[in-house]
Amino acid sequence: MTQERRAELTAAGIDVEAALERLLGSEALLERLLGKFPEDGNYQALRSALETGDLERAADAAHTLKGVCGNLSMTALYGLFSRQTEALRRGDAAAAGTLMEQIAPAYEAMCRAIGGQGDGAR
Amino acid sequence: MSKQQTAAECGGTLLIVDDDAINRAVLENIFSPYYTIREAENGAEGLRAVREERDRLCAVLLDVVMPQLDGLEVLRRLHREGELARVPVFLITAETGDRVLKEAYGLGVMDVIAKPVVPYVVLRRVQSVIELFQARRRLSRTVESQQARLLEQAERMVRLSQGMIESLATAIEFRSEESGDHVRRICSITTCLLDRTELGRGLSREDVRHIGLAAILHDVGKIAVPDAILNKPGRLTAEEFEIMKTHTVQGAALLDRIPQLHEHPAYRYARDIARHHHERWDGRGYPDGLRGDEISLPAQVVSLADVYDALSCKRVYKDAFPRETVLEMIRSGACGVFNPRLLDSFLSVEEGLSRMYRKEETA
Repeated sequence: MTQERRAELTAAGIDVEAALERLLGSEALLERLLGKFPEDGNYQALRSALETGDLERAADAAHTLKGVCGNLSMTALYGLFSRQTEALRRGDAAAAGTLMEQIAPAYEAMCRAIGGQGDGAR
Repeated sequence: MSKQQTAAECGGTLLIVDDDAINRAVLENIFSPYYTIREAENGAEGLRAVREERDRLCAVLLDVVMPQLDGLEVLRRLHREGELARVPVFLITAETGDRVLKEAYGLGVMDVIAKPVVPYVVLRRVQSVIELFQARRRLSRTVESQQARLLEQAERMVRLSQGMIESLATAIEFRSEESGDHVRRICSITTCLLDRTELGRGLSREDVRHIGLAAILHDVGKIAVPDAILNKPGRLTAEEFEIMKTHTVQGAALLDRIPQLHEHPAYRYARDIARHHHERWDGRGYPDGLRGDEISLPAQVVSLADVYDALSCKRVYKDAFPRETVLEMIRSGACGVFNPRLLDSFLSVEEGLSRMYRKEETA
């Protein structure tokens, strides 16, 4: 993994060192798993559940995303999804919606970085 | 060492149940050097995998929040089917809620490991439990095979002690110039009367076996009787007969002097039979002149068996009598009076017993 790639992922909010440690140092596996991240259906599920007000489904999706972000050491997103899961579990739709406003740009930046069009590389 | 070898060495399939492919991949990467990995995308698929892998399965890593059957429901079903005692199940979860953890532990989950996982921690925790389960399984197999061996040894000991007792009795028989057949026939007749007639009511198979063994020793006291009397061809004088009669008391005394024998379940029968197999129903036997039910049932059975066998065979002091004469002598009390109930039972099976002597004649 090049220095630039590392910087790009770090700028998007990934603790690259921690992620690699969890994957026993396999950079190839990290890239492969990151490649799956934008395809993960849970983000879409979360958005539509929030729109229809299905808090239970939204909570499950947020919870799964929290787990995935944790595993990939996406520190900021992990924190955001954790707080959103808690908000949804206690039925606080307003707080979950407010959090979504922070989550959306961070998530999109993450997907761009993964695709090699990260802001940090510019 | 190649991946395949280590997987084969540890043996077993590790099942990862998580709806998210990324989470599964992280765990797969950690465990695949040691185990064959099977993945399931939801609870229902996980349960199916548990059933299919059955004997190969060494552990299950289970996510909590999943579509279709969630992890807790999977756990409930495995608990109900008693699988949790057989295979360790770990919850791998970002869930921190107290309620979920409490129920999971209550159902018998082995451990709860927080997501995101720390590789060496999850590996160590899961591996030590798998090793523990495998060791426990090996141990229980060892215990089973040892138990079988012990049983076999115990049986061999029983056969051995039976052989020892028979050889002792046969050695004594030899002095009276008889083969060991007499003691073996006494054992057969006694066992037959207790097994096939109402005389044995209330006795277990073990009891009957022990009484049969004890019957073999009925004449051990003869070792204390001089050869001149024991092998005298003609009638014994009154004095000689008094000495001959002591073999009953001597027999019981001899058995008393072998402390190892006291623990044998046949001992109390053997002692009683040795002392009382010449007692008679009317009280005119010896050495104690017991009458009626004062004489134990085993001693009564052996006394009749002894008389029947003596009359049916040739002895130094007499020829073998024909069967009709034998039965007539027993019925008429020519050899002492027997319990009428004992006689009835004896006569009901006597025809079978008489074949032992016919075979001998033709042999």
